[in-house]
Amino acid sequence: MGYQVQELVGTVHEAAWLPWAVQYFFLIAVSATALLLALPGFVLGREGALPASRLALMVAVTTGITAPIALLADLHQPFRFWEFFIYTHRTSWMAWGAWVVPSYVALTLGFAWAVHRPAFFQMGQDNWRFAWLFRLLSLGGSGNAFAPLIGIGAGLTALGILTYTGMEVMIVRARPLWNTPFLPLQFAATGAVGALGVMLVLERSLCRDGNLEAALNRRLAIALGLVSVLGGLWFALALSGLSPRHSEALASVAGFPTWQKIAAWGALSIVVPFVIALVLPRRSGWVTGLIAIHAAWMFRWTVFMGGQAVPKVGSGLYDALMPTGLSGLMGVIGTFGLWLFLLIAYTTFVPWTLAGRPDNTRTATGPARSI
Amino acid sequence: MDTTRRGFLGTIGKVTIGAAASVAGASRSATAATQSGAADRSVAHWGMVVDLRKCIGCQACTVACIMENDVPEDAFRTHVSVYELVKDGQDPAMVMLPRLCNHCDDPPCLPVCPVEATFKAENGEVLVDASKCVGCAYCVQACPYDARFINHETQVADKCTFCFHRTQAGLLPACVETCVGGARNFGDLNDPESEVSRMLRENEVSVLRPEMHTNPNVYYIGLDDVLDGRIAGDAAYTPPVETAHRAIHEEGA
Amino acid sequence: MTNRRNILKGGAAAGALGTFGVGYADTVKKLAKGKWSGETPRNQHLTGNSIPPEFSIDPVTGDVTPNPDQAMSYTMCIGCTTMCGVRVRVDKKANKVLRVAGNPYSPMSTDPFIRYESSVAESFAAMAQAGKGQGLTSRSTACGRGNAVLEQVDNPRRVLQPLKRVGPRGSGKWQTIGFDQLLEEVVEGGDLFGEGPVAGLRDIRDLEAPALAGAPEFGPRANHLVWMNCVDDGRDNFVLRWLKQSFGSNNFTRHGSYCGGAYRSGSGAMFGNFKSMPHAKPDFSNAEFIIFAGTAPGNAGNPFKRIGTLVAKARSDGDLSYVVVDPVLNHAQNGPSGERSRWVPIKPGTDGAMAMAMMRWMFENDRYDAGYLASPSKAAADAAGEASWSNATHLVITDPDHPRHGHCLRGSDLGLEIVGEAYSDADPFMVSSPAGAVPAGDAAAPLFHEGMAETPAGPVAVKTALTLLREEALSRAIADYATDCGIPEDKLIELAREFTSHGRKAAVSSHGGMMTGTGFYNAYALMMLNTLIGNLNWKGGTMIAGGGFPENNGPAYDLKSFPGAVKAKGLPFGRNVPYEKTSEYKAKKAAGAAYPADGPWYPNAPGLATEWMSSLVNGYPYKAEALIFRNTNPVYGVPGVAHLVDKLKDPAVVPLIISIDPFINESSALSDYIVPDSVMYETWGFTKPWGGVATKATCARWPVIEPKMAKTAEGERIGMETFLIGVAKRIGLPGFGEDAIPDATGALHPLNRAEDWYLRGAANVALIGAPVQDATDEDIDLSNVARILDDLKATLKPSEWRKAATIYAKGGRYENIEHSYQGDRASYAFNAPMLVWNEQLGSFRRATTGTGLPGTPAWRAPEFADGTKVSDHYSREDWPIQIVSFKSPLQNSYSVGAKSLLRIVASNPVNVGRALAKAHGIKTGDMVRLTTPGGRLESVAVVRDGIAADTVAIEHGFGHRGFGAQDITIDGATLAADPRLAAGVLLNDIGMLDPTREKAGVWVDPVSGTAVRQGLPARIERI
Ligand SMILES: Nc1nc2c(c(=O)[nH]1)N[C@H]1C(S)=C(S)[C@@H](COP(=O)(O)OP(=O)(O)OC[C@H]3O[C@@H](n4cnc5c(=O)[nH]c(N)nc54)[C@H](O)[C@@H]3O)O[C@H]1N2
Ligand SMILES: Nc1nc2c(c(=O)[nH]1)N[C@H]1C(S)=C(S)[C@@H](COP(=O)(O)OP(=O)(O)OC[C@H]3O[C@@H](n4cnc5c(=O)[nH]c(N)nc54)[C@H](O)[C@@H]3O)O[C@H]1N2
Ligand code: SF4
Ligand code: SF4
Ligand code: SF4
Ligand code: SF4
Ligand code: SF4
Ligand SMILES: [Mo]
Repeated sequence: MGYQVQELVGTVHEAAWLPWAVQYFFLIAVSATALLLALPGFVLGREGALPASRLALMVAVTTGITAPIALLADLHQPFRFWEFFIYTHRTSWMAWGAWVVPSYVALTLGFAWAVHRPAFFQMGQDNWRFAWLFRLLSLGGSGNAFAPLIGIGAGLTALGILTYTGMEVMIVRARPLWNTPFLPLQFAATGAVGALGVMLVLERSLCRDGNLEAALNRRLAIALGLVSVLGGLWFALALSGLSPRHSEALASVAGFPTWQKIAAWGALSIVVPFVIALVLPRRSGWVTGLIAIHAAWMFRWTVFMGGQAVPKVGSGLYDALMPTGLSGLMGVIGTFGLWLFLLIAYTTFVPWTLAGRPDNTRTATGPARSI
Repeated sequence: MDTTRRGFLGTIGKVTIGAAASVAGASRSATAATQSGAADRSVAHWGMVVDLRKCIGCQACTVACIMENDVPEDAFRTHVSVYELVKDGQDPAMVMLPRLCNHCDDPPCLPVCPVEATFKAENGEVLVDASKCVGCAYCVQACPYDARFINHETQVADKCTFCFHRTQAGLLPACVETCVGGARNFGDLNDPESEVSRMLRENEVSVLRPEMHTNPNVYYIGLDDVLDGRIAGDAAYTPPVETAHRAIHEEGA
Repeated sequence: MTNRRNILKGGAAAGALGTFGVGYADTVKKLAKGKWSGETPRNQHLTGNSIPPEFSIDPVTGDVTPNPDQAMSYTMCIGCTTMCGVRVRVDKKANKVLRVAGNPYSPMSTDPFIRYESSVAESFAAMAQAGKGQGLTSRSTACGRGNAVLEQVDNPRRVLQPLKRVGPRGSGKWQTIGFDQLLEEVVEGGDLFGEGPVAGLRDIRDLEAPALAGAPEFGPRANHLVWMNCVDDGRDNFVLRWLKQSFGSNNFTRHGSYCGGAYRSGSGAMFGNFKSMPHAKPDFSNAEFIIFAGTAPGNAGNPFKRIGTLVAKARSDGDLSYVVVDPVLNHAQNGPSGERSRWVPIKPGTDGAMAMAMMRWMFENDRYDAGYLASPSKAAADAAGEASWSNATHLVITDPDHPRHGHCLRGSDLGLEIVGEAYSDADPFMVSSPAGAVPAGDAAAPLFHEGMAETPAGPVAVKTALTLLREEALSRAIADYATDCGIPEDKLIELAREFTSHGRKAAVSSHGGMMTGTGFYNAYALMMLNTLIGNLNWKGGTMIAGGGFPENNGPAYDLKSFPGAVKAKGLPFGRNVPYEKTSEYKAKKAAGAAYPADGPWYPNAPGLATEWMSSLVNGYPYKAEALIFRNTNPVYGVPGVAHLVDKLKDPAVVPLIISIDPFINESSALSDYIVPDSVMYETWGFTKPWGGVATKATCARWPVIEPKMAKTAEGERIGMETFLIGVAKRIGLPGFGEDAIPDATGALHPLNRAEDWYLRGAANVALIGAPVQDATDEDIDLSNVARILDDLKATLKPSEWRKAATIYAKGGRYENIEHSYQGDRASYAFNAPMLVWNEQLGSFRRATTGTGLPGTPAWRAPEFADGTKVSDHYSREDWPIQIVSFKSPLQNSYSVGAKSLLRIVASNPVNVGRALAKAHGIKTGDMVRLTTPGGRLESVAVVRDGIAADTVAIEHGFGHRGFGAQDITIDGATLAADPRLAAGVLLNDIGMLDPTREKAGVWVDPVSGTAVRQGLPARIERI
């Protein structure tokens, strides 16, 4: 039926989930997927996977610490975080998330510790300024046969993270853009893209090992491929009308020029690194890595901020798409700041290059890395 | 005058999906009407029937709510959207659409609350315990009606309470008390004798976003289904906050 | 090397951590605050900062348990000129108004309103769950604005101290002065601003010297004090006593000429009084069909809120269908009501064409009420069972050469013997009969006649009034009328048919839409439709207001007269009298050419504020020495006045300008002194509905909070009354101070403070007819009349004070609703004839042209003062579109300071029709430029379908420069302008002067002298 409406009096709703949320969902997804990428080396003990696993673990740990800190900031009553553990509302994915997140972070840190224990022990033996600290850190032993166990636990909670973050957003029927069955998968896939992107950048800046770069680029290409397949299916379902939910999601933003631009942008930031990663997997790590990080982050910004810019009952769009004010931006920059700090600290104090296959017979060889 | 004659008649006297799908209160009051109802009547179940034919868009409700509940600058617990609607070639017509929390019987905002701060009160109000709310805004996302917001003064979720403090004192909600057109009608849906029950029985009613199956306790008379969800078309003009928009007043020409 | 790397690393690490710290600071602060990261709400659990209920009421018994911290008082809202009775909720400790609702005793806020005998406790219960229909039946309301204007009381820009300008007029710089200095300077005058001597009120009050040398008709110099007033806010009787009976100036005017004056004058023409301009409103609740042409029920209208309520009810629960004839679709129409509520777009300023077309069809199809129109007298009407009558059958002299051309034929014209003066009421009107012209009797008379009446001076051509109206209506084809008004022929006929298909249960209503270049005749024509179906005084038809209980002449005190009162004399400043009475006329006549006069005169109009602006700046007919603006804002409200304002800023033009106003609005901004005044809930007054209420109703306003203005040395709050009493005492004017107010026994009582006047007024209101009941202690307590109890007891007699207390406890005096009708007639009937031909109108000559105008409704193209067509000056080719103004449903002209309203609607983008927008490539949100002969403005456009072709509409109430839209400097401290208050645009800024007036004046309707704000010729372009 043909009709035309002009809203003469309406209201504007500001976004209730702030850029902090974007940061959290970005970092936690990167962390969880990175953790999974660290398992081949440190749990399955594949020698060849070690270089990549070392970087993956570094990423998992640093983002894994930063993410919950960002999350806390998105609570308007941060001091009341403890209530999550007193009254757990079983019907709320967020309530469950409140339990998953700390377990994941704890296990990941435990895993990282276990993996590095031999090196810590080693560094505790030599006599130098901070030896005492490493003696403490190693808890007076170098055995880490139990590492794979912790690793498996961490891996399971990582899956828990990917599930709960995906579901928490996906079940929100009030937001068509979120309420699509694909969303959890897309979060995971783009998470992997982000993780590999970060690993590539770290590889370029810390290792400069062409084979590793190429390997990572290959994996990135696979992840990007997955993302585009999901994206393609998403559109197919939406356009074909096979899945009303997807159609509604598309309808909720289609027709708005801003969104057409966003779609194009998104597509490019998937295709471009994909092609580069395939065509010249070597010496392209910086480019593919950075674009990949950007793509993963951008996906979340669009989903969260863009999603909140879609009125539920009113006309037009709210302008939540742009970070509201300096405070919003500072949130974004600030979390990246913390993350960078942790990376520096990690690369400085953790003998990460020595992390090897967990096994209690083997003792670290060679001098402890000078600090 | 033919075009005008066709007017809006289409919309009144039509049951929308809403009425069919989720007029919980309506059916309740109907049953209450049939049975002795004693059981049902013991506790009031508050509901509102908004007769759009009576709304003049004066916003008395909006302002009364702000004054009564000290609603912060950047938010509304209720407001009245105003639309100019042109339906297939008919004359353009005005629609004033009062919006507030529907105090849904199946409120999507409730299950998502991680700490059970949001709950359904005895008389059907959906309320937030401010001292429990962690301000995660998950409920704000989950409400299909944009009826919730984070109160920037108290930093907790805020929304229409059906004027809980007033109804407890035997008074009417502020927005109802001051409704100039008599569009907002409030009362006990469990009491078949109540005005609202009568209105539900005697009129075709519908609800906002029936497809959400939230079972609202706010019903509308005369709601055109092109307006019962998200509404196509341009948003109302709002000037940049900090500056009034450009306007030169010239003396003479 | 390693070290350098470490330092770099360290630096980077520190930096990274730093940015995190900055970004996270807010969160840390919140964490530090603990359990409540924000402000802790009043109620920490469910109801947050909601204010505690005013009282609790048992839903079953209705027993009221008050909240000791809050007061609930019945008083008046002045959020607009409707002036509703409201219930104000006050935080006693903070002396702050918390919220406002309606007064259930008052018809202005409640339908059906409760019985006046109900106790205050019962009135509270009526609006609670315990009330009828769970409190819904007699819920009582304030509108959106009425709910918001409480913010005006605490408006940070309120004037609380007397202000004196520093630097030139309108510079926005002020100094506070003491009350005594204020009195001293305005009374004694002197070199007040270092700009030379200024005459004080003492000198100006000269009852001997003429206002204009050689022109005694203008009265004494005292008339050089001219007073501009908004609407009667219930304090005008006090003002008029001071101005006319004490000071002796005859020059007082209200805002009518830029409000809805054209409509009121058109109505006045039919009701037979151009000064009081009686008007009737439809019986909204019982009419079956109403045409609203130029008034927008529910969007604005007076009484705004009551009409909104009644029309909403009638279109939903009642039998009403209505049509809104308007260039703009607004809140008057209601989609969900379907065909019950329809919108018909019309070209601005062309209602006359629509009405005359309908009349033509009614004449040609015998769809007028011949039986009704045939009664030539009240007696005949009574005999015929009619509720009113008209002069349709009266004979009118149509012979152009006859000295009484345009007058009605009277007995004396035929040489009949009459007792009393010729042409007095004793002189009978004549109707036709087979035997020739005969005096109108108590039987029906012929409707149509055209012939010769035999007079001693020979035969005279005569026609009946209805014949003349029919000729006028038939002078053009319906198709031509259709082209002029843009309403298709079939739609016009449909309108006429429907209008004449409901017997007396149909009506036409109008108001602001008549403020056009031909507004007077448009209004006269629209109103005449009511007479053609004889609906006056009928239930479901049109009714005049029931009126009120006057406070100034009641049984207890005489507030109308006092010892030593003077009688103000002289033709008024606004030239609303026959030019022929002036010395100018005599002189010009002697010189051979009586016409044109130097400026326009308006014998068929009331006081004209619009023309005052011209009189002020031109000193014509004479110069004003002092101007008082009292709660009025013509500089914002009069279209085109901007062109005159610069002259007003020149102290040589009007040496002394005083404003009495709580705010610095666009007009008070131009004054030399501002006297602070009370805001709504702080002030006294009595008002009656301006229409639309069938019963007697008087709303009483009283200070329900402690006023905020500074105090005088004697401890009185400075306000209008304090100021006028102070001036009167200083000059020694009669009627103030001791022995000023006579009571029934003739004993005299003092008038030293506002209370002396208003409390005695309350006693009058209470004692008129059957006195009201005494207020019980409970009434007094629950309504917090306790606040003024000491004054009541001190001022009034023991037998009076409890009755007066009832007036305040219940917010006025209201006749019960069942007195609205007697059977199927209105209880309060209008008994004078409806004038189908108005002889005053039909016989007057325009001072600027010397020509006459028709004495019946007519449709003519708009003309300027010199009689030339507006289109000859501003052709359709150059000015293809027309701009109209419509009231904001939310704002009124001064509510912008109530900030809650701006939260809902922050500005007024101009409304452009879709076709017009398309033609100019305009989309919603684009900037457009509007240009009229009067100026141009730029604004954002909203493209709509609900706008008539080639029309642009501007919502009124925005585009302010006063109220804080610009910087205000007081005693050197500057209150910075708030851009939100300046948001949007004002049509009046591009209003026009009449280019044919050589003494500058704004464009007005030639008969009613009212401002033209509708249908400004204009151009639009996208920028
Ligand atoms: N909300 C609100 N209510 C108010 C006021 C307010 O400021 N705001 N002010 C109060 C006052 S002081 C008054 S006088 C009344 C006025 O109440 P109204 O007279 O009802 O209001 P206006 O907006 O002045 O004019 C009525 C309508 O005339 C239309 N109009 C313009 N030109 C023409 C024309 O040529 N022909 C026809 N048929 N219509 C035309 C306008 O679009 C407008 O919708 O409202 C009172 N109530
Ligand atoms: N373009 C356009 N122009 C219009 C209109 C329109 O619709 N469009 N409407 C016209 C109409 S209908 C009218 S009636 C006129 C109105 O114009 P006016 O009657 O000249 O002025 P108001 O704007 O009503 O100003 C009354 C002043 O009283 C003061 N005031 C406000 N509240 C209080 C109070 O509580 N107590 C006291 N003591 N003073 C107070 C304020 O300073 C306010 O400016 O404007 C007319 N002008
Ligand atoms: S309207 Fe929204 S906030 Fe209100 S109950 Fe329903 S879901 Fe919850
Ligand atoms: S914001 Fe408060 S009420 Fe809403 S979900 Fe979070 S905790 Fe519950
Ligand atoms: S019921 Fe109370 S809280 Fe809800 S909208 Fe009305 S006034 Fe506001
Ligand atoms: S108060 Fe009533 S009539 Fe006025 S806008 Fe609100 S719902 Fe509509
Ligand atoms: S109509 Fe509204 S603003 Fe005007 S007096 Fe009544 S309540 Fe106040
Ligand atoms: Mo007015």
